[in-house]
Amino acid sequence: MWQVLRSELASQNFEIITVGCDAKGAEVEREFIEIANPEYPCLIDTKFVVTELYNTRNVPALFWIDESGRIVRGNDPAYMTRRDPETGIRTPNERYMDVVRDWVKNGSESIYVTSNDVTQERLGASDESNQQAMAHFRLGVHLDSHGQHAEAVEQFKAALALKPDNWNYRRQAYNLGNADEYGMTMQEAMQAVGPMYAVALQLPDAPKT
Amino acid sequence: MAVTILTSESESTPAGARADGARLWLRSDELLTSTGWEMKPEGVCRGDVCVPLPPAQAATLLSERDGATWLDMAGFAEFIGQTYAHDAATESWYFGPGPEERRGQFDLLDAPDFELPDLEGRKHRLSDYRGKKVLLALWASW
Repeated sequence: MWQVLRSELASQNFEIITVGCDAKGAEVEREFIEIANPEYPCLIDTKFVVTELYNTRNVPALFWIDESGRIVRGNDPAYMTRRDPETGIRTPNERYMDVVRDWVKNGSESIYVTSNDVTQERLGASDESNQQAMAHFRLGVHLDSHGQHAEAVEQFKAALALKPDNWNYRRQAYNLGNADEYGMTMQEAMQAVGPMYAVALQLPDAPKT
Repeated sequence: MAVTILTSESESTPAGARADGARLWLRSDELLTSTGWEMKPEGVCRGDVCVPLPPAQAATLLSERDGATWLDMAGFAEFIGQTYAHDAATESWYFGPGPEERRGQFDLLDAPDFELPDLEGRKHRLSDYRGKKVLLALWASW
């Protein structure tokens, strides 16, 4: 999916790393990854290690990490465009690719690098209730992968009771079972807690050329 | 029943672990290998953090049996504010990061490191790419 950008920018000390956050792992991700024919690492996270570490509540979520390992822009919901009907490939939206190009070229001078305060705000604080919900969610993923579906559903319900607007929890839970187990369709959930894609990609206007 | 202990990046089934209702008794050696917490004279320690147990807590959280010291890990987690989740049917326990890890998680904006496999099972560590700009993209098939 990102191969276009990778081919263009790899010589400029730039890499893309994707993390598939999905309990079913390679089984469901292989098709998406192979069609992209990537030269960059596509990692598989069936236990939601990265979701917990980066405190995300939906996908996609993109982070910019500079040469020293610091996050300089975080939690971008940069959606892919629709799948090309002929090739099956999805590409990131053009505007976002331009923004990444600007960062690779200008580094910390890029207008798209956010201040520390803004970056921290976007990452959010993983408070105790976030982590309690995450503990239920990750235990649920473990139980489901060990054939304990009914017990997993109880853990997912506990996670969603604490964080009803965490779409990672809801989408993964529904994907492993069905909405009936949770008494609420995805549409009803969105009516109750707000749309799934409520967080907009916040970008300053491109400089005039 | 066998007890399974999960943490962010580990899974173990300590042979001596004993679940008793809401309590989870771990022998000191297995406590360390399962959770990273270690019993020391100054308290229960992990990394740079040591939690001294006041007598009231020590009385309920510690137990001497079979020539070893045992800690009620569930009670200890509640005492220090470490989140956990428990499934009684399978005696599976997930312990989240401790409060010492939660505090200031993003203060320095250091990208948290992790190691994961690709489709072929090759392991990659984020910090292997230090020195390059990295676009880290989380996605899912659902």
